[in-house]
Amino acid sequence: MKNKILGVLLLVALGVVKVPLEDRVADSLKAAQLRDAPLALSLRESVSQMAFAAALGGLRSLVASITYLRAYVAFEDRDWGRVDSLMTLTTRMQPREAMYWDEAAWHMAYNAATSTQQREDLRAAIRNKEFREYVLRGLTIVQEGLVYNPNNPKLLVREAEIYRDRLKDPRPAAEAFLLAAKNGAKPFYERMGAYELVKLGEPRDMQQAYEILKRHYDKGFRYPSVLRDLDILERKLNIPAAQRVGHPLPPTPPPHRK
Amino acid sequence: MDTPSPSTAPPPAVTVENLTKVFKSGFTKKPLLAVRQLSFTVGAGEVYGLIGPNGCGKSTTMKVMLGLLKATQGRATIFGRDSEEVASRQDVGFLPENPYFYKHLSGRETLNFYGKLCGLRGSELKGRTEAMLELTGLTHAAERRIGGYSKGMLQRVGLAQALIHEPRLLILDEPTAGVDPVGSRRIRDLILELKERGITIVVTSHLLEQMQEVCDRVGIMSNGRMVSEGKLEDLISVENQTELILQDASPELLARIHALVQESGGKSQLISEGKPRTTLEKLFLQSTTQTGDGE
Amino acid sequence: MANDFAPQSLMSSAPSRSAYSSFSPGRIWTMATHTVTQLIRMRILVFMGIISMVIVIAAFAFPAVSPEQQLKLLKDWTFGALKIFFIIIAIAATGLLLPRDLEDRTLYTTLSKPVPRYEYLIGKLLGVMLLLGGGLLLMDLVFSLMLYLKQSLIISSQIAALEKEQAATPENIAFIKDLNSRFGLTYSLHSAVWAIFLQASVVAAVSLLISCFASSTLFTILVGIAFVIAGHGQSLLREWFLDKMSGFWQKSLSGAIAVFCPDLTLFDLAEPAIRGEVIPLGVLTEVSGIALLYIVGYTSVAYLFFVEKEL
Repeated sequence: MKNKILGVLLLVALGVVKVPLEDRVADSLKAAQLRDAPLALSLRESVSQMAFAAALGGLRSLVASITYLRAYVAFEDRDWGRVDSLMTLTTRMQPREAMYWDEAAWHMAYNAATSTQQREDLRAAIRNKEFREYVLRGLTIVQEGLVYNPNNPKLLVREAEIYRDRLKDPRPAAEAFLLAAKNGAKPFYERMGAYELVKLGEPRDMQQAYEILKRHYDKGFRYPSVLRDLDILERKLNIPAAQRVGHPLPPTPPPHRK
Repeated sequence: MDTPSPSTAPPPAVTVENLTKVFKSGFTKKPLLAVRQLSFTVGAGEVYGLIGPNGCGKSTTMKVMLGLLKATQGRATIFGRDSEEVASRQDVGFLPENPYFYKHLSGRETLNFYGKLCGLRGSELKGRTEAMLELTGLTHAAERRIGGYSKGMLQRVGLAQALIHEPRLLILDEPTAGVDPVGSRRIRDLILELKERGITIVVTSHLLEQMQEVCDRVGIMSNGRMVSEGKLEDLISVENQTELILQDASPELLARIHALVQESGGKSQLISEGKPRTTLEKLFLQSTTQTGDGE
Repeated sequence: MANDFAPQSLMSSAPSRSAYSSFSPGRIWTMATHTVTQLIRMRILVFMGIISMVIVIAAFAFPAVSPEQQLKLLKDWTFGALKIFFIIIAIAATGLLLPRDLEDRTLYTTLSKPVPRYEYLIGKLLGVMLLLGGGLLLMDLVFSLMLYLKQSLIISSQIAALEKEQAATPENIAFIKDLNSRFGLTYSLHSAVWAIFLQASVVAAVSLLISCFASSTLFTILVGIAFVIAGHGQSLLREWFLDKMSGFWQKSLSGAIAVFCPDLTLFDLAEPAIRGEVIPLGVLTEVSGIALLYIVGYTSVAYLFFVEKEL
């Protein structure tokens, strides 16, 4: 009997000792970015029972990969509502996984939007309205993803592309491209940001764009678009002729695709 | 209480002093008194039989001697060491009642395993294992998994593992229960053989006749108490009777014996007369040629 | 075989082996290797086959999704399978050992040898840990090989695609290689496998403790599973509910769970490793340290219960 009492006491003592140690290890894990973000509680009710139980068991990535694959099947079936809800579930499971946010936004802003645009059974006004709604949905997703993954280059690029290609809004596009480049995206995206600045036409923006493109030019990136935009900027900013490097595109641009 | 007759080494092989064991099972059931105030001593080299009906406390006593159970009161010692000390088990080999072993091991692996637990290694382990397989007649089945062994073979593996580390004391719990007469005969022969080699043996059984021929002394237990203890001859011989067995006796001779008994007067009288019968066991042993399990 | 236990001189001279010592690594090792043999012969290796199949399927089953996603799926499925199966093995194997020894009465024969009860327990746990460690090592090898193959395939096909578009600049190629190595095979993935080993070992120690006062295998397994769930939930409990809970009973209940359950989420390093985070050695050491604390602590408690056990 004596040993059993001792055993219970040891168990309690162990518990009391371990709690602060556990907190310490948890803090180290947090500091090294190794702790999972908690599930967003507000959306917990939308997660099915099984998924929640598994999420408790540290199997979130496995469950997320399954909902992701189901979303992929829905994508192949062009069932956009289902794609959205399954991708939402996937991103809830692993909010720190930028790839999932990126793909969820892409599905909405590109695939779903374009697919709606091509539907001939809808009236033009409705098609356009739905197109815009899907694009905005994509934008919302990518911006939510950026809350969990601040300054993630992949998501910033996606955001910029949605602004540029789908919403034709150069200023936020430029800002997102430049922020992405600053946070480790390919240097290419800095030039993308500069091209958007050129579209804006304000002197401050043009000055910034000129500095970026000139820098890339000096590093050896002398692609036709760089030269073309430098040409525009040099003339608008009145750069002395001796320093000018840009020139317009060749008169007959060869068509890329037939 | 009797003192053990063979007076050899100072510490007796086993002493049990005022042993009481109470089992508390659950909160509601009332405690079960399995053994009460039990005392006995087994001298080195003796064969001691602990007999009694099922549930009389024999197995509990053995488990206390092996440290598997803690005594509620009193104590047991093995060659002078308290049975609660793990070290006391070095000198003990134990054959449990209906022994079970790990089904996934072969006979040889089983003996190796128990040998290693007893500290045997290398060539000594190998030698002991082979010797024990041979002793118990299991060499031919050594590679087979224990899961496929018959009851008698299990009993023999049990004996082999009990003896693997050359213990000075062997504790056998119902060694002959459920074993056929041939196997049972062998086990009794082995007990006698081990006794000759100076090994102390404590054996329990409820098969009284079988104990008769191997035990030096017996203790009879009932309801957790020792009710009778002593040398076998003293316990079972009927002091005032004599048995005569004659061969080829003629009727005349028998008549003269009758007459003599009558003539002598006094208290002597002839109580019974008849033809002795062989025991069923002897008959079985004579008429069966099969020598046991798995052979 | 003759009709008698004949052979002579089997009880040879005085034993030459070493005297009894109260702590013998040799005996513990005997118990441990015996446990490994026992578990392997209980067909536990079938699990390894199933996990390998999951890995191979995950490596080649989803060619449609993007390359990064393919690598991620392979890693997700592998770690999911490793975690599930090794936790099951830890609970079931441990749950089968002690209660079964008791049910089969093999415990009598073992403990009637000069084997202290702590050596018996340590040997059993060590055996389970050896099996878990060996199994995980094997699975890590299979997984690493598959991931490396997959990664090489993806890189070469991506470079081929770049060349086709005449965009195979050194900058682009370096970018692709960098990206793939971040999402491909990294040291952190092996660290995550090690963390699964630690987690499964802790679960085994907890199951051993449970089996010391449980008498049946089923009970041990069920309570073990409950502990695993509570062990994963307790940090959530602490983070979310503890502040919000006001009632005395609510507080003491979550307090009790925190005290009695190991925090198993500390060992969930697979997710960040899959994401490409680096697991620093310091953090890994801390995690290993707390695992050791759990294992030693729970095994000591288990011993205190086991030594009192009436057999």
